[in-house]
Amino acid sequence: MLLSELKVGDKAEVTEVRAESGVRRRILDMGLVKGTRLKVLRVAPLGDPIEIVFKGIYLTLRKKEATGIQVEKTGEAGDGKPMGGKRLRWRLGG
Amino acid sequence: MSYAKEIKVALAGNPNCGKSSLFNALTGSHQRVGNFSGVTIEKYEGYVDYRNYRVRFVDLPGTYSLTAYSPEELVTRNYLIEETPDIVVNVVEGPNLERNLLLTIQLMEMEVDLLVALNMFDEVQAQGIEIDFKQLQRLLGCHIIPTSAKKKQGLDSLLDHVVRVYEGDIEVKKNKLAFRPEVDKAIEDITELLSNEPELGKYNHRWLAIKLLENDKEVYNVVRQYPVWVKTELALQEVIQETEKVYKSDPEISITEDRYAFIRGAMQECVGQAREKKQSVTDYIDLVVLNRVLGLPIFLFVVWVIFHMTFTLGTPMMDGLDALFGMLGESVATFLPNGTVRSILVDGVIAGVGGVLIFLPNIILLFIGLSFLEASGYMARAAFVIDRIMHRFGLHGKSFIPMITGFGCSIPAIMATRTLKSRSDRLATIMIIPFMSCGAKLPVYVLLAGAFFTPAVAANVMFGIYMLGIVVGLFSALIMKKTVLRSESEPFVMELPPYRWPSLRSVLVQAKDKAMMYLKKAGTIILLAVLLIWTFSNYPKNPELDAALDREIASIEQSIADETERQDAIIAVENRINAGQLEYSLAGRAGKLLEPVIKPLGFDWRIGIALVTGLAAKEIVVSTMGTIYSLGEADETSSELKTILKNDPAFDQATALSLMVFVLLYIPCVAAVGVMRKEIGEWKSVAFYGAYALTAAWIFSFITYRLAQLVL
Repeated sequence: MLLSELKVGDKAEVTEVRAESGVRRRILDMGLVKGTRLKVLRVAPLGDPIEIVFKGIYLTLRKKEATGIQVEKTGEAGDGKPMGGKRLRWRLGG
Repeated sequence: MSYAKEIKVALAGNPNCGKSSLFNALTGSHQRVGNFSGVTIEKYEGYVDYRNYRVRFVDLPGTYSLTAYSPEELVTRNYLIEETPDIVVNVVEGPNLERNLLLTIQLMEMEVDLLVALNMFDEVQAQGIEIDFKQLQRLLGCHIIPTSAKKKQGLDSLLDHVVRVYEGDIEVKKNKLAFRPEVDKAIEDITELLSNEPELGKYNHRWLAIKLLENDKEVYNVVRQYPVWVKTELALQEVIQETEKVYKSDPEISITEDRYAFIRGAMQECVGQAREKKQSVTDYIDLVVLNRVLGLPIFLFVVWVIFHMTFTLGTPMMDGLDALFGMLGESVATFLPNGTVRSILVDGVIAGVGGVLIFLPNIILLFIGLSFLEASGYMARAAFVIDRIMHRFGLHGKSFIPMITGFGCSIPAIMATRTLKSRSDRLATIMIIPFMSCGAKLPVYVLLAGAFFTPAVAANVMFGIYMLGIVVGLFSALIMKKTVLRSESEPFVMELPPYRWPSLRSVLVQAKDKAMMYLKKAGTIILLAVLLIWTFSNYPKNPELDAALDREIASIEQSIADETERQDAIIAVENRINAGQLEYSLAGRAGKLLEPVIKPLGFDWRIGIALVTGLAAKEIVVSTMGTIYSLGEADETSSELKTILKNDPAFDQATALSLMVFVLLYIPCVAAVGVMRKEIGEWKSVAFYGAYALTAAWIFSFITYRLAQLVL
């Protein structure tokens, strides 16, 4: 489902970011990548934009921008479930 | 203090990481503000003398990343490439390390001599976050210095590290982050290709390769100029196809994900969890401030407070300055003989300088307010609350506050658009600000509405004028964003920073910088323009009228015995001659020249003159009408002028309405145009705006005039 379809209080995990390039770049730079868990915090008084929270970041974005983000609803954040998708490796190179 | 060596240090970091506070704590009062070349992004420079080194700091704009996405990011990386600072200090927000490390990694990719200042370390300790500095330093390959700008801790240690890196006592390892194998291979290949091109010598080739894979337009444009591009392009296409096949995403996503994967790993390995996370103060404040019911009223209240602070507090100061310059003019006048020199000095220079300076209180007060909102963290929330409405008209939530400020004065309002990142959003906002009826237009409405309508109707008329300005402004924005300013709007993806209590000093410094900027840049243009308009309305002189004046005064002095009667008669003659001189001057001729164009709006040449001189300042429309109707000094409360207008056959209710609409919409005062030019950076757009405003003014005045003739 899309991030824009979540309700206030919903928790979800990002599965794919596919907004058009400028917006996507911005979203990625804010740390909203595949595997990030977020919670929808609130909707602006006039119904748009929305505010989400992840990794201690409070991010606001328009619903239009949020349609570029695929998510999967999850249970509690930090409930010990492994991250979705292929686990990303990291290592240090020379 | 003497020093042996100079070290050039650049401060880079995310927005809200406390970078500017650190800069202030380090450099104290040795600061100056300028602009990065070609853009309206402020550049703060300062220095501190440490041991026998002079350490020069440049505070780069806050960025999350180093893509070509925003002007701030471009400025930052161009600075690092072109100016090659000796050391880059990456300021990271201690309590929010994870997000901040993205920039750190990208700085590592540029292979600069890096130091990390882990700022807000006091908060890290307070939250009980344990950090394994040794291991994190090993991973990042550079030294990490805990600092707290607020408590002024770790500053000497930071300077000490700067000196030691500079002297080569500390080696910056320049670790390379490894990406997934396909991407790594591609980076290696492309790096090698690029290293064959000597012209790309000033760049780090590996960095260029990464940026090419990230589809970075700026880097594309650089590399494309060289023969090496042919091979590079082939290599790029190959890797793009391959990652698409393996990961179902382009290299840009892969690279970003790998960076975050590294960060996640580093965080798990080196940084502990915060103690039991309680609801922070920010959470509680936002529960109220961003509440669905209270959010909007609170926002409107904040805007109202800012507006009142700027104008209720500023207007008396403005009037004070105005009076001061009036007195100065008068006292200079008593020392000089009547003539051209006196006229230039008093009516030209002193009035002109005064005209520039009187805006200072408003500018300073507004920017004290705006810096406070920005630094406290509310500004982002204001944009969040109002964005829905602004977005309807193609604008950004951040356009609202500058727009509203326009009701007071366009000048600070135009300067306040700097918070907008996208140029097209910014241009659209700047161009609609003058449609928000500014304080100087009010006297014109008061005069005309007061003369032609009963008090009750007059209030409605004025309200209607203000509303018309808003409607024309918003729809102009919509039209411009759909046509000429079609290019990318800023997407609304914005962090809400935690609330902070801004330091009084930084708020005041900001306001001071804005004031200086206005005086330095806009001041010169405005002064020239005011002098020009003064010349226009005084020259050429008609010698016959001067002679007639002398003659008539002489005859009056002989014929009228009573002192007061004689003075009255002389003033009447003087006023009549002044009106004649104005008609004879260039401005007068321009008014007459304009008559055919403005005739359909119900205006004669006399209104034409008032509109021309009104370019100097809108309230001058009223005083010019006073002169032209031979009244001498006049203002909007002058009942004489009202009576004359009412009895003038060329003037009726329809004309009055039409004139109000025209004054509302046509080109603002030269001061505003000067600031507009300064903020936009080129005349072309200003000229476009001028043509647009005149056209809009003409069309709406025409409609108003014809409709009013039918109805009234």
